[in-house]
Amino acid sequence: MSSIAIAVVVLTLLALIFGLILGYASIKFKVEGNPIIDQVEALLPQTQCGQCGYPGCRPYAEAIANGDNINKCPPGGTATMEKLAGLMGVDPEPLNEVAQENVKKVAYIREDECIGCTKCIQACPVDAILGAGKLMHTVITKDCTGCDLCVEPCPVDCIDMIPVEQNLKNWDWKLASIPVTLIEPVPEKSTVTISVKQIDIAVKEDSQC
Amino acid sequence: MAFKIASSPHVSTSLQTNKVMQRVALCLIPGILAQVYFFGMGTLVQILIAVITCLSAEAAIMKLRNKSIKNALSDNSALVTAVLIAVAIPPLTPWWMTVIGCFFAIVIVKHLYGGLGNNIFNPAMAAYVLLLVSFPLQMTNWVAPSELAANQVSITAAFAHIFELSTAGLDHFRIAVDGHTMATPLDTFKTDLSMGMTSSESLQRNVFDGMTGVGWFWVNLAYLAGGLIMLKLKVIRWHISVGILMAIFVCSGIGFLLNPDTHASPMLHLFSGGTMLCAFFIATDPVTAATSTRGRLLFGAIIGVLIFVIRTYGGYPDAVAFAVLLANMCAPFIDYYIRPRSYGHRAGN
Amino acid sequence: MLTLLEQIDKGTLWHSPGGVHPPQLKSLSNQTASARIAPAKQYRIPLPQVGDCARLSVNVGDKVAQGQQLTEGEGFMYLPVHSPISGIVSNISLQHSNHASGLPVLTCIIESDGLNSQVDYQVSTLGELTNQQILDKTKQAGIAGLGGATFPSHIKLNPASEIDLVIINGVECEPYITSDDVLMRENAFEIFKGIQVINQLLSPQRIVVAIEDNKPEASSAMQQCLTQFDDLQSTVKITVIPTKYPSGGEKQLIQIITGREVPTGSIPAQQGIVVHNVGTAYAIQDAVLHGKPLIERLVTLTGEQVKQPGNYWLPIGTSVEHALEQVGFTAMDNQKVIIGGPMMGYALPEYNVPVLKGTNCILAPSANEIAPDVDEKACIRCGECAVACPALLLPQQLFWHAKAEEYDKAASFNLKDCIECGCCSFVCPSDIPLVEYYRIAKSALKNEAEEKQQAEQAKIRFEARLKRLEDEKLAREEKSRLAAEKRKASANSASNKSTVAEAMARVAAKKKAAEQEGHSKTAEAPSETGASNGKSAAVKAAIERAKAKKLANKSSETSDSTAAEENPQPVNDKKAQIAAAVARAKAKKLAANQSTDNSASVEENTAPVDDKKAQIAAAVARAKAKKLAKQNADAGIYSTTDSETVDSSTTEAAAEVSSNAEPVDDKKAKIAVAVARAKAKKLAKQNADDGIDSTTYTETVNSESVDSSTTDTAAIVSSTLEPVDDKKAKIAAAVARAKAKKLAKQNADADIDSTTDSETVDSESVDSSTTDTAALVSNTAEPVDDKKARIAAAVAKAKAKKLANQQKLSEKE
Repeated sequence: MSSIAIAVVVLTLLALIFGLILGYASIKFKVEGNPIIDQVEALLPQTQCGQCGYPGCRPYAEAIANGDNINKCPPGGTATMEKLAGLMGVDPEPLNEVAQENVKKVAYIREDECIGCTKCIQACPVDAILGAGKLMHTVITKDCTGCDLCVEPCPVDCIDMIPVEQNLKNWDWKLASIPVTLIEPVPEKSTVTISVKQIDIAVKEDSQC
Repeated sequence: MAFKIASSPHVSTSLQTNKVMQRVALCLIPGILAQVYFFGMGTLVQILIAVITCLSAEAAIMKLRNKSIKNALSDNSALVTAVLIAVAIPPLTPWWMTVIGCFFAIVIVKHLYGGLGNNIFNPAMAAYVLLLVSFPLQMTNWVAPSELAANQVSITAAFAHIFELSTAGLDHFRIAVDGHTMATPLDTFKTDLSMGMTSSESLQRNVFDGMTGVGWFWVNLAYLAGGLIMLKLKVIRWHISVGILMAIFVCSGIGFLLNPDTHASPMLHLFSGGTMLCAFFIATDPVTAATSTRGRLLFGAIIGVLIFVIRTYGGYPDAVAFAVLLANMCAPFIDYYIRPRSYGHRAGN
Repeated sequence: MLTLLEQIDKGTLWHSPGGVHPPQLKSLSNQTASARIAPAKQYRIPLPQVGDCARLSVNVGDKVAQGQQLTEGEGFMYLPVHSPISGIVSNISLQHSNHASGLPVLTCIIESDGLNSQVDYQVSTLGELTNQQILDKTKQAGIAGLGGATFPSHIKLNPASEIDLVIINGVECEPYITSDDVLMRENAFEIFKGIQVINQLLSPQRIVVAIEDNKPEASSAMQQCLTQFDDLQSTVKITVIPTKYPSGGEKQLIQIITGREVPTGSIPAQQGIVVHNVGTAYAIQDAVLHGKPLIERLVTLTGEQVKQPGNYWLPIGTSVEHALEQVGFTAMDNQKVIIGGPMMGYALPEYNVPVLKGTNCILAPSANEIAPDVDEKACIRCGECAVACPALLLPQQLFWHAKAEEYDKAASFNLKDCIECGCCSFVCPSDIPLVEYYRIAKSALKNEAEEKQQAEQAKIRFEARLKRLEDEKLAREEKSRLAAEKRKASANSASNKSTVAEAMARVAAKKKAAEQEGHSKTAEAPSETGASNGKSAAVKAAIERAKAKKLANKSSETSDSTAAEENPQPVNDKKAQIAAAVARAKAKKLAANQSTDNSASVEENTAPVDDKKAQIAAAVARAKAKKLAKQNADAGIYSTTDSETVDSSTTEAAAEVSSNAEPVDDKKAKIAVAVARAKAKKLAKQNADDGIDSTTYTETVNSESVDSSTTDTAAIVSSTLEPVDDKKAKIAAAVARAKAKKLAKQNADADIDSTTDSETVDSESVDSSTTDTAALVSNTAEPVDDKKARIAAAVAKAKAKKLANQQKLSEKE
């Protein structure tokens, strides 16, 4: 009889002690908010394009944290999806959008066609379009996330999404992709196929900072 | 005018993989000669069988993998594997066992893991272990050294036995001049100890010449010489070999000092069985070893300790193959945890 | 224990790990004295050389003198670029760069005029210059590190921390290159002059000139010359170090001389050490004492394919092609031309590129000098690369991860500490181009980091925008609330009417400001109306607006239009805005009412006004277009005929606008463009909707009629615009483009349920009308300018598109 009593007492005491420890730990190590959301958000590309069906990257991060599919982010591509899968501990799934070619693009406004309607300014989620009503608009290229959202509202279709050009700074060292054809050493016969494109845009960009 | 482009550097050393492998094979020659001298022509026949099998297996599997056969054969790695298997197994092993071993080494151990550079286990040792656990009887039938043997193994006898043309058992090659059958020195030693003899008593047997096994000493010495040539040619680095030999020496030395009756002397450990072959030719296989300098010392030490432990306390008389395979398993972990401190980083990074 | 300085004085050298001993082959080019080659006709100065923020300060056709500064800019890393020759800027365009990628960069091409006119170089002595002046001179001369990395020297000469030790790098560990060697032999005096300058700026405790022991002539020349400099005797020490590649690397050299490592992520200056190349010392001396900018440098031209290998003073901007031609270069099969040495240099894809500040060697090797191209074989993990790595990395692990594109894992093996020296590839028995893998991985990591930062930025901007929108909404609510309160309060005291008006005006003005951010024009308008009724215009405007709003709320049309008509009596430019406001209000109302009639009246009302009118019309047209689109989308099934009438009236309105506005200005053109484009969009939408359930027949008819009306508009616009200006061409272009778009859409839709017959008919008819338009436009635009070409192009493009579509369709059939 007494052994039962001892066991009960001991177990009760143990339960009490562990309960206290747990209680203390829950206060001491309390985590504000849901850290997983921040982690998910850190992985998302922050284009704020809304292609996932949520109004921005943070809401989608919250949705993922609450169990939404991880394959709704076309700008992030497969790489982001795989990272999300790793973080969330779920199986990678193919993107539900048709996998687009993952070339980073930025919006470019054909400035002499712009009528200054400010519609694109309102559409831009990151305020990367500059301009005023009835005055020409332009895109701040370095802030453009390439989300596409300004293209649709334009009443005169003067916004193009153009791929970011490769320059000496972001060149990826893929030597094999330099289109050089080898020739016999016959002079005066250029067979280099790198075409020197004389685009005014590029010239403009280079001459500025 | 267009020019060829390539990434720097535009110059390189002339020591290519195929040359490295070739040199390894050449440095095995002293050991092979010693082995032939002491244990007869069987080894040569085995080398022939093994080389043919390995090269054809390699060619076949490269064909299956739709890769260049010429590239694979020209890197000489299959050749080295073949020779290592051939010198590791008893000289009069039946041909089909050699074939099975070689096939296993090339197809299963090497190419199923992705081919040269991707295998985790040393192909030669994996094949040896496969044969050892599958055919323990044949694999422990070593012939008597020529000095003691009643019958010398001539080239015709070797062929006859290996291809199982003669009906006579292998035993008459194991019979020494005094009429006893002979096991390898390590085997004899182990059996004797288990029968309650002391080590000094065991060493009195005719298979020993007082310190080490008859013939085996010279074979090991020849492999040591080959290994030193490799070191000189910078085909291998010293870390793994030194790790192994030091570990064996230290462990057996401690054991011998503590209880000389039940422990073999360092001398016996170092110059018996496959110690030198392992230390210079097998464990130094770069693919399956650790890569950093300290990692290699540790890798070698693990092999050395395992050889000592298995020889002394395990069920098998020699332990080279098991030790190497077990250390192979550790190699990725060693590489992961032992990284050199990079320039400009404090230790631990 | 000796201090570091004592050990340096004693000549103690430390061991640097790794490294290799490639064949030196320096005697090929260091047997002859430095020389010059015949000047080229043309020099190419790429703009982005050192630093980013360079702007070209010359134009095509400008005459430049030798040494004239070609760029201006500011920014930390900016370094000016100078003309190497006197001549004329003949072209500024994208040209191949002297870079491993060969990507085109903006390049200024200078044709030499052979006059050799120079800008005046200011000669000065060291004593008369302050440190700041020296730094300015170095910067203005565009001095960059000539060892190859071309880091701006004035930054390294002006470090934030105290400098104890300066190392003058004369190691030159790369095979083949001898430019520093020859420079030290021939110009030791000038180098020491440069060292004097560096000494004055940094006043270090010691200056060590490090020279590899394979250059005995250079070190003895330097040693001899040092005796002429009494002031340097006590600080400068010439140290000969053993030959090993890559001892000349900054970090490796520091380790050899001091035994210290530069912690990762920091620069040597933080350790109190600065390393300058001997060539840089020479250039600094030239700049500070002789005022000469960096317009030429000593370059080693070598390799067995060069007949006269040696060191040559090449003006920066000389093309590699010219330089090689002058020394008897012959190309062989699979010739490589390498900029820099064989270990770290890059092969040029194209040799018509300029020599840059960092170009120390041009190597044209023969086949037996360089490694043959062999296929990469499997890594056997031999670990030789780890032994050779001077940065103590594990190249085989880096390779493993880089190949698998696991760049973050590669980064965890300290990929960023790789100096790309090439030792690992050099020793690799499997011929793996390890450095190439690392470079790809590094650039991927860099781009990834940039993207990450951009994402961070985007997030911040996105959040800021959300906050701004929220704030604006709150502010609006607050304001309307305040206004309502005030109105209530002022209603009680009716006597003070003028204040009420003023208050209202203020509120209105504020509201306007809030509404149209950035419309600075509104603010200045009131001042023009004169002193007597300065405020009155604004008051009126406010009243107008209020009225318009009220009217809009009611839905009676007549009162609205009359009100709008009566009010704009005092004609000033404010009126236009009022009208605009009215028009906008109306447009809104109209959208609600779906009535189409009174748009014409609006147009008529605002007849005798100025260019703002055009904009009004544009706004109306646009509003209508959008409305129509909406309407169609809603009406869907039965709205085809309806929308058509609406459509035609829009066209009329637009036409009227054009005909009324006699003093034509270029804004009008824009209207037309906008109208045309808006229509195109509308039509596209309409068609898309129609496509669902209308018959093909009606659709074709519909679109055809619309089409023709568009053409009409364009025609009218064109005919009225008598003083033709180049904008007209654009109209046509826009029309053409709009049509093309429409057609594309139309075809796509028609495809769903139309028969082939009607399709072809349709597109053909449209085709002809397009041609008509183009013809019309070309006819009217008499003073032809180059814009016309664009029209044609646009038309052609439209046609091409149409044809493509047509073909696609027929193929489907």
